[in-house]
Amino acid sequence: MKGIVRLGVVLAIFAAAACASLAVVYSITKPRIEAQEQIALTASLKDVFLEAEEFEDVTESLKSDNLDIAFTNAILVKGGGAPIGVAVKASGPSYGGKAVLLVGLALNRSIAGVRILELNDTPGLGANAKNPGYYVNKAEKTTFPGQFEGKYVTDGFVVKGDVAAITASTITSVALTKIVKTVVDKAALWLESATLSPTPQEGAAAGGN
Amino acid sequence: MNKLWKTFKQGIIYENPLLMLMIGLCSALAVTSSVSNGIGMGLAMTFVLLFSEVVISVFRKAIPSSVRIPIFIIIIAAFTTMVDLVMKAYFPDLSASMGVFIPLIVVNCIIMGRVEAFSSKQPLLPVIFDSLGMGLGYTWVMVGIAAFREVLGNGTFAGLPVMPAAYQPILFFILPPGGFLVFGLFISFNIWLKDRMQKSMKERA
Repeated sequence: MKGIVRLGVVLAIFAAAACASLAVVYSITKPRIEAQEQIALTASLKDVFLEAEEFEDVTESLKSDNLDIAFTNAILVKGGGAPIGVAVKASGPSYGGKAVLLVGLALNRSIAGVRILELNDTPGLGANAKNPGYYVNKAEKTTFPGQFEGKYVTDGFVVKGDVAAITASTITSVALTKIVKTVVDKAALWLESATLSPTPQEGAAAGGN
Repeated sequence: MNKLWKTFKQGIIYENPLLMLMIGLCSALAVTSSVSNGIGMGLAMTFVLLFSEVVISVFRKAIPSSVRIPIFIIIIAAFTTMVDLVMKAYFPDLSASMGVFIPLIVVNCIIMGRVEAFSSKQPLLPVIFDSLGMGLGYTWVMVGIAAFREVLGNGTFAGLPVMPAAYQPILFFILPPGGFLVFGLFISFNIWLKDRMQKSMKERA
């Protein structure tokens, strides 16, 4: 009995020391990690919505109902004082673990752009999704995330159908497409509930989904 | 000094963790599809190996042998998490491309193996040389395999194009079977090198 207690105490001391040293490193690196993520997010937002000027956080009201796919940030993007679209930073499972995407939906329910922020899939295969020099459509020079631009919420989002897959990387292609689809569906509903439409006509057309 | 040098050399060729001991292969095959990943993984691994071995060697008398494995894992995991955090904060690009393999250093058999077989029984000085030798042995193989695979499979070296524009990359080398093939070639090269070195040592003696 005494021996077991002694082992437990020794183990606890080592664990506590490890925790303390980790806490120190964590508190030192935390502001830098957050700053890096913020820089990456703002850069991607401006890249997706060229005329973006202001960002309003709407993470609280725009949430995912898919258990696999989480929305970490939702941002209402404004340009010239008026809303121009909504962007969602979403993460979901892919071949090599978690993939993080930024998906922007314009008010007319078309995708303003998709950017891959984090992807750990196989280099040379699935990782080609974030390679700016890899074209899924060589004739039109569209990248894998680039092909989503201009697609409407009502489109099919079927890999090897209306979405071109990355060679030898069907799992990555399907996983990323699913994240995009989940985001645009929810974002379109959110725009509906926030009654943000460019013109009544277009809003009604998309609402038929 | 001579003995320390010998300990250091063990890890590089004679007891190379990847090519002779053949441990820690999963991450080695997975991340060696680009040279920058190979370097990053090698350095991260060496760092964790060095600090875990040093801490465990210093406290080796305070670690009861019946709970040594959980204690080793706590120590290794702490250093791995530190590497992960520091990389995320200061080298976000590298951290993004290494992804899940950094946290997986925790369960890498090389570290566990060296800690169990060497640093839990040896004083500080040989432990430092052992971890550096093993780390360097791991790193050179990683970079070597990665260079081979990236040049043939992608036509680039550390992201820079090195092959003529007409070169059609052989995708096979980036894929897992290509990794196994190159890895096998490295093993046979290392055995040849080891035999040669032992022969020349005998001739000298």
